[in-house]
Amino acid sequence: MYTTNWLRPLGAAALTLLLAQAGAAQETLKLGISAPLSGAAATWGLGMEWAAEQAAERVNAEGGVTANGKTYMFDIVSYDNKYSATEGARNAQTMLNRDGIDFIAGTIGTAPVRAMQALTERKGVILFTTAWGKSVKGPEFPFTFTQMNTPFEILVPFYNFIKEQHPDLKTAVLISPNDATGQELEPVAVETWKSLGVEMLASDWYERGTTEFQPIATKIATLNPDLVDFSAAPPTDVGSILKELDVLGWNGVKVMSAGTSVDALTAVAGEAAEGAYLGASADFSGETATEVQKELNAGAREALGEPLNGITISSYDAIMALRAAIEEADSVDPAKVQAVLSSVRFESSYGPSGFGGEATYDYPQQLLIPVIVTRVENGKAVELTRSNPAELEALIND
Amino acid sequence: MWNRLPGVWICVAIAIASVLFALLATNAYYTSLVVWVLTNAVLASALRFVLQIGELNIATAAFFGIGAYTTAITAVLLGWPFWLTLLLAPLVAGALSALFGWVTLRTKGPYFLLVSFAVTEVVRLIYTQTNAIGGNSGLVGMFPPMAIDAYYPALAVALLAATLFALYGVERSDLGRLFKAIENNDAIPRSVGLNVVLLKVLCVVIAGSAVGLAGGLHAYANNVIAPSDFTFFVAILALAYVKIGGEGHALGPVLGAALLTLVGQWVAGISAWENIFYGAVIVVTLLVFPGGLVGLAARARGLVTRSAR
Amino acid sequence: MELFVQLLANTLQIGAVYVLFALGLTLIFGVMKIVNFAHGAFFTAAALIVTSVVPFATVELGVPLWAGYLLAAIVAIVVVLCLGALVYSIGFQHVLKDLNGSFILSIGLLLILNGAYLAIYGGAPRTVPQVLPGTVSIFGAALTAQRLALVIVAAVVTGGLYLLIERTRLGLALRAVAMDQEAAMLQGMPFNRVALYGFLIGAALAACAGVLMAPINAVTPVSGDEFLIKAFIIIIIGGLGSVTGAIIGGLFIALIESMGGYFFDPSTATLAMFILVIAFLLVRPQGILGNVE
Repeated sequence: MYTTNWLRPLGAAALTLLLAQAGAAQETLKLGISAPLSGAAATWGLGMEWAAEQAAERVNAEGGVTANGKTYMFDIVSYDNKYSATEGARNAQTMLNRDGIDFIAGTIGTAPVRAMQALTERKGVILFTTAWGKSVKGPEFPFTFTQMNTPFEILVPFYNFIKEQHPDLKTAVLISPNDATGQELEPVAVETWKSLGVEMLASDWYERGTTEFQPIATKIATLNPDLVDFSAAPPTDVGSILKELDVLGWNGVKVMSAGTSVDALTAVAGEAAEGAYLGASADFSGETATEVQKELNAGAREALGEPLNGITISSYDAIMALRAAIEEADSVDPAKVQAVLSSVRFESSYGPSGFGGEATYDYPQQLLIPVIVTRVENGKAVELTRSNPAELEALIND
Repeated sequence: MWNRLPGVWICVAIAIASVLFALLATNAYYTSLVVWVLTNAVLASALRFVLQIGELNIATAAFFGIGAYTTAITAVLLGWPFWLTLLLAPLVAGALSALFGWVTLRTKGPYFLLVSFAVTEVVRLIYTQTNAIGGNSGLVGMFPPMAIDAYYPALAVALLAATLFALYGVERSDLGRLFKAIENNDAIPRSVGLNVVLLKVLCVVIAGSAVGLAGGLHAYANNVIAPSDFTFFVAILALAYVKIGGEGHALGPVLGAALLTLVGQWVAGISAWENIFYGAVIVVTLLVFPGGLVGLAARARGLVTRSAR
Repeated sequence: MELFVQLLANTLQIGAVYVLFALGLTLIFGVMKIVNFAHGAFFTAAALIVTSVVPFATVELGVPLWAGYLLAAIVAIVVVLCLGALVYSIGFQHVLKDLNGSFILSIGLLLILNGAYLAIYGGAPRTVPQVLPGTVSIFGAALTAQRLALVIVAAVVTGGLYLLIERTRLGLALRAVAMDQEAAMLQGMPFNRVALYGFLIGAALAACAGVLMAPINAVTPVSGDEFLIKAFIIIIIGGLGSVTGAIIGGLFIALIESMGGYFFDPSTATLAMFILVIAFLLVRPQGILGNVE
């Protein structure tokens, strides 16, 4: 009698304990970030870190990721790579061997990323990067994935669109910063313009850290091309050059293939930036941005004092991809995750997305997101068109 | 010389222990840390070595880079054998230091400081503008041969430690005394018929070869090098290690490098505050403890012997 | 011909800021015999302060732009002077005439200040609206009114400094101390006080440059460092410690940048400048107008 009486509550207690145990079987999965957190490029690194933390918060709020019966909460660990290969190598050692991190959700800077790859590929750690060059992709780097559009995705649709808007375009001048991104982009830009029948009158370089742009502007004004392409120059530099060009009276087609952040551009150039075409500066607060992007953008403005751009939002997309891949592989073993990452479907901040690019890189490790062409109108970036890479179209229509 | 210095044997013991640690430790993070600390120690020691003749040589950073690039170019672009690429690093760096020293050492003090700074920047700019050696992206793919790969950290530690001992050895030799004499007043050595310019160049060559070797080892340790690794700031950090550790003794730069590197790792990832931290350490040490750690130790020892009397 | 005038105008515009920067640096070296790597930090501080005071004045206090800008200029210069005095009394005072020591101290200071600016202002570029909008045309060369103002103010300040050095007692003291410190002290000159004034004047010049640049270029916590390297090149060529040398050197470097950037490309011009400075240091280390040590 007594036994049956307290058997039930005992059973209930035991069951509750068991359930509580299961719920408490929560672990932390660390995700690494290696980006410049000090110096001239600090805003990119800090922005990427913030976006990653937002992504982690969302994932954790939705219950974390479940794999192999366990639930994991994401935890973001970031290190300053000071844009140098040495620091990149140090970050890699610290993240992989001291912290035991298996997934790196965001990296910025070609030199530090290549240093990291030397370690991540050997250890089989998944590495997401914003670095552009073809040199960081390919079948010999199966654990590396690019988290935003690179010139190889952007330039062809972008330049084609501009040529359609201005069919009489004959001559151009290319201005590139003397850094890794500038050097990777220049040959591609020159080739692509040539294939559209635009002659490159001059392809000039300037040192990062230049403050006075009148000499460049004077040279451009004298050559008087139909179009000036600022390739990977940072928006403040582009703004300065545009202002000087305006003073000198040049008024042609202005193109910024790969710079980000319209705010900085218009702050410096003011009226002189009107009409400039931007290939990588989507406005995440505009009407064409997704809900997620608008929310993140507003949050970034408040937290960091500036909006998100293509580089900084990329860690959010990488983390969403990771969640999907971990759940599909039902494992947190990077080798198993890597096996499904190329083919997984997930919701990035832009909408449905996946990885592709085998035709360009011999391996499907490029994030598939729309190429968004914007133009500066009344000081804001207005979206003119967006085009999905063929693989993304196929994915969406599936 | 060696018998009179029991301290040297302690250092040898520590060096051997480090090599063994690098050989046997299982976590690659810690072995890479040891290699890194010793690399910084060599940079700092080489800087201090030239300070012996009274010159602050920012170009130490340039020769570190030249050693690294020599190894990288011969290994990756030319495919030469591992041992040869490492051997060439100190040789090429040394040869170029000789050229550098011969041309610039007629200037002194602030002028030499600024010219060494300018040379470092010029060399870095040349790297960035030369596409054949990777331009801004640098060179990648410096891997030790498969057979040695697991033992590489131990090899690096052994070579770096040997370099430190070599620098110390030269300092304690008669040649070292000549350098000191030059620092004091180079008219005097000249008056006894010594070729002062030659001696100064020799000093710079020794230091340059030492960091050249460190550069070559660095290339294999990181597998990637880029021009941004070899800015004048490398020399500034080395200077900080020297100041913190103390200029007075050869052990100073080693202690300074060890302390700052390890503390730096401990506080890594705090962005803006990392700069403030390093800066504050430098400023406070300079103003309050100009002799650095070594100075503190000397004072402490003085206190102990005094109280023991 | 028009091109040539334009290039000349570019030279003047670029040179104006370089000269202001270099003047402060050369003064500090001449008097105190120290190489101050943190000089750029004074420039940056002034520019950053202007970027925060101007919006405050125009929005919170409701004053017109030009008044806000003047207020910002005064605040910036005063703050930098206080910073300079602080830095001098805590630090540089103890390393006068010690080249290596002062160099290291200035590096440490630079790290602290850069970190502080990043922490306070963040890394994003900050701008100030142009106080004098519009473009003017001088002899066929086009430049913005703002830049013309910069050139004029810089010329006035430089002229004022020249008069200070050559015609006033303080200037005399500065020159005497720069020439031979011991002899000057024997004459009863208070070296410490003279050095302090020299340092403060130098800092004020950098602050002035920062205030003038704020409406023209975007400001980041590392803006001053970029100018600093050029400034060192300038004072070497002009002669460490020579005011006239700094002016000549500043214009000369600006000329190279303007011509070299136009006829070749800016990266080449930068490389050329460094090689030039190396050549100077080897052949004529005292620069064009410096004193032989």
